[in-house]
Amino acid sequence: MLRIAAIAALLSASLYAQDPAALCEAAQQAVHAQRPEEAERLWRQAISVSPRYFPALFNLGLFYESRQQFSDAIPFLVRAAEISPRDFNSHYLLGACYQALGHGDDALRAWRTALGLNPKNVRLLQVMAVEYTKGRYFQDAAETARRAVDLTPDDPNAYYLAIKSHQDAGRYPEALEIAARAVSRFPESARAHFEYGFHLQKVGRVEEALRELERSMALDASYEEPPFFYGDLLQQHGRYEEAVVFLRRAIANRTDYVPARVALSKALMGLKKWEEAILELNEALRFDPRHPQPHLLLSQVYFRLGDEQRARQEKDLSLKLRRENPAALEAVQGRNFPAR
Amino acid sequence: MKARESRTRAGLPIGTLAFGLGVAWALFATVVWLAAQGVATRNAPPAPRDTASGKPFLAKFSDIAAQAGLSMRFTFGGETAKKYIVEANGTGVAFVTGVNGFVDVTRKAGLARAGWGSGVCAGDVDNDGHLDFYVTYWGANVLYRNRGDGTFEDITARSGIALPSKQWSSGCTFLDYDRDGRLDLLVTSYQAFDLATAPLPGKASNCEWKGMPVFCGPRGLPFGSVTLYHNRGNLSFEDVTASTGVATVKGFYAFTPVAADLNGDGWTDIYIACDSTPSIFFRNNRNGTFTDIAAEAGVAFSEHGFEQGGMGVGVGGFDNDGWLDLIKTNFAGDYPNLYRNTGDGIFEDVVMRAGLAVNPQYVGWGVAFADLDNDGLSDILQVNGHVYPELDSETAKTRESFRNPRLVYRNLGNGRFEDVSAQAGPGIAQQKSSRGAAFGDFDNDGDIDVVIMNMEDTPSLLRNELSTSNHWIQLRLEGTRSNRSAIGATVRVEAAGKTQTKPVLSQSSYLSQNDLRLHFGLGSATRVDRITVRWPSGMVQEFKDVPADGLVMLVEGSETAKRLTLPR
Repeated sequence: MLRIAAIAALLSASLYAQDPAALCEAAQQAVHAQRPEEAERLWRQAISVSPRYFPALFNLGLFYESRQQFSDAIPFLVRAAEISPRDFNSHYLLGACYQALGHGDDALRAWRTALGLNPKNVRLLQVMAVEYTKGRYFQDAAETARRAVDLTPDDPNAYYLAIKSHQDAGRYPEALEIAARAVSRFPESARAHFEYGFHLQKVGRVEEALRELERSMALDASYEEPPFFYGDLLQQHGRYEEAVVFLRRAIANRTDYVPARVALSKALMGLKKWEEAILELNEALRFDPRHPQPHLLLSQVYFRLGDEQRARQEKDLSLKLRRENPAALEAVQGRNFPAR
Repeated sequence: MKARESRTRAGLPIGTLAFGLGVAWALFATVVWLAAQGVATRNAPPAPRDTASGKPFLAKFSDIAAQAGLSMRFTFGGETAKKYIVEANGTGVAFVTGVNGFVDVTRKAGLARAGWGSGVCAGDVDNDGHLDFYVTYWGANVLYRNRGDGTFEDITARSGIALPSKQWSSGCTFLDYDRDGRLDLLVTSYQAFDLATAPLPGKASNCEWKGMPVFCGPRGLPFGSVTLYHNRGNLSFEDVTASTGVATVKGFYAFTPVAADLNGDGWTDIYIACDSTPSIFFRNNRNGTFTDIAAEAGVAFSEHGFEQGGMGVGVGGFDNDGWLDLIKTNFAGDYPNLYRNTGDGIFEDVVMRAGLAVNPQYVGWGVAFADLDNDGLSDILQVNGHVYPELDSETAKTRESFRNPRLVYRNLGNGRFEDVSAQAGPGIAQQKSSRGAAFGDFDNDGDIDVVIMNMEDTPSLLRNELSTSNHWIQLRLEGTRSNRSAIGATVRVEAAGKTQTKPVLSQSSYLSQNDLRLHFGLGSATRVDRITVRWPSGMVQEFKDVPADGLVMLVEGSETAKRLTLPR
């Protein structure tokens, strides 16, 4: 009897070892029991038994992805996606692995397939919009982000993503239109009013823009961006006294706001308040010591004060920092997404 | 207190998006992409326009090049695609004397020469009363001496002016930096360009434009240089680049140089527009040396501290405050610079507040402050044209094109300009890929005309058909202690309560030579109250109560302003 039982057990084990579904089930149990090495072995065993067994391929890919072993995950996910081309998750996860490895174009290709399978997946649309932007595919980013807005009209972040994407693509009228929709949908949102004001200014409706910025500041006095933008606009038009008031407000809301400190120092230079400008520029450098612009402005202040030696030192430092990071002060060109 | 909403405008809100698979994904907002781009650009959008003034603009330009006999077609490498950057930048042009109608006398004058030309500048290097020319090339440059009989001789070899053959010289300007009364020469080199080592389109990191493979550079290619020659007399020059301190500045792609007294101390300074690198401002130290103070003086970068693709430069006083200001054209996706001289040669870029940031879609080249409607305020005329003919191909997916219209900005007199291109006639609306532009009154009818070099095309000769009762005056200066062509002089004209300031320039615009006669619009004034000339020698002279509407000769040391007859 015992012998019969032993034979049955052996037979069962042998059948189990040849059954990819059973192996996968055991692997899942090993995962839940915190035995990852065993799970990995069982999935590999399942694949060796049945190389086209989708659950094993996919789960092993997912397993490696979750452990951030992205290079290990990719071959299994590629095979999973080939075997089951209509499986959204394989394509999505494959894209995630490529993205983690810095292969943005491959990630986007995988995600484009996933999106074809599930065109209303808002989260994927948003992730893709970000990745398109990172790859400088600004037009694709804009299209994708707009679809996300249309699918989730109650999500304010979808609007902000779409506004930014259209701005990057140089599509200012459309950015304005989305911002107008955001204000209409979220009338109590300081951010929505700020975005609307920002883009009103971009298309030349300056008076309306200023009203929106004021509304934004009224809704949330602690929000630093409206007073910065307002003050910088005044500074650019030579209205230095007024600019100083708003730029100081922006800095009060966020002390490490380097662009606001730079703009404030320019307004102070316009007012010939050299010592105050030096203070602001040094504060900016305290928060961002490798930023070339404060050094450049310090060079100009010292030059105006007649200290040419110090001016030259600051200039040389600014030029050195520029050379070390040439893209720091420069926008990049957009491009079209390559199909292959 | 309501919940604080996501509001980081620099990019996306940083958050976590959960998927059904339990996969977490972070959205990272800040994107720093060390981009593949060969030129400084910043995707700048057009700035908002002010409401139009509604005033009619009375200067209308028509292209009469064909009827005037300017029919030579300029071809620069590939017409539909460019393989190397040397095919892209075109040439300057020179406006020397006013003659109504043109005949090709190149061969007869001894100026026929095969070469890859770039820039031209004029000046009387031997003070014999005849304008000589310097022409720059990719390869050997040439100094032509004017014999005074309608012919020229190549005196390059004996004058000691030669550059290595792989230098791609771009600009040049004559100037008298040491006040010895002889014209010295400054030559800019865009880069040391070598076909044998130049990468091909799309083959290196600086060889694409918006994802499209294009010719490489300038970034990634060897930098250019500046060379200064001192005129020793007897038509011989000495290379003083090192001893004057000019050689200390490195790492740039230099285009157009202008030489004028920019800080008002009576000595000629030099400003050089540089492409995708900081521009250069050599302050004359008044002891035979120069110091680059561009960054300190505020003319190296944009108002936001960006390197820019600088091409052409115009010099003049746009705000009639007595100081010389600068306008510099830049690459597409960027604004020009309007550098207002705040006094003593310190500048601020006021392009935004002046209303000139409204057309960043064009690559700007030739440019000048010029009073196009004779109202006593310097307007601006700018010519444009992209560098990539591939933009016109059917596969290009950008909204840019190789051929662009010209731009005219009317000076409103309050520190602001308005774009009046649509009112300025068919010559302005014409779509060409233009490069050099020279300004002068070629038909001697009392207004400023323009000659323009167009890529893969014949030149344009824009005749100004100005219909106004405004008055004007033209001044021809002749140095005696100073160099005879008075290059480097600064002239102030006071009339009808306005004080206008202009310099006598050798090269400006884009690698081009403007008419050496200075043109001032006078509005309703029929007389000039006072003309003040600061000669390059340092002498300051005043001429009072000069009648308008004609050409006047001012000779250094002579008290009278002599009226000349304009040839028609």
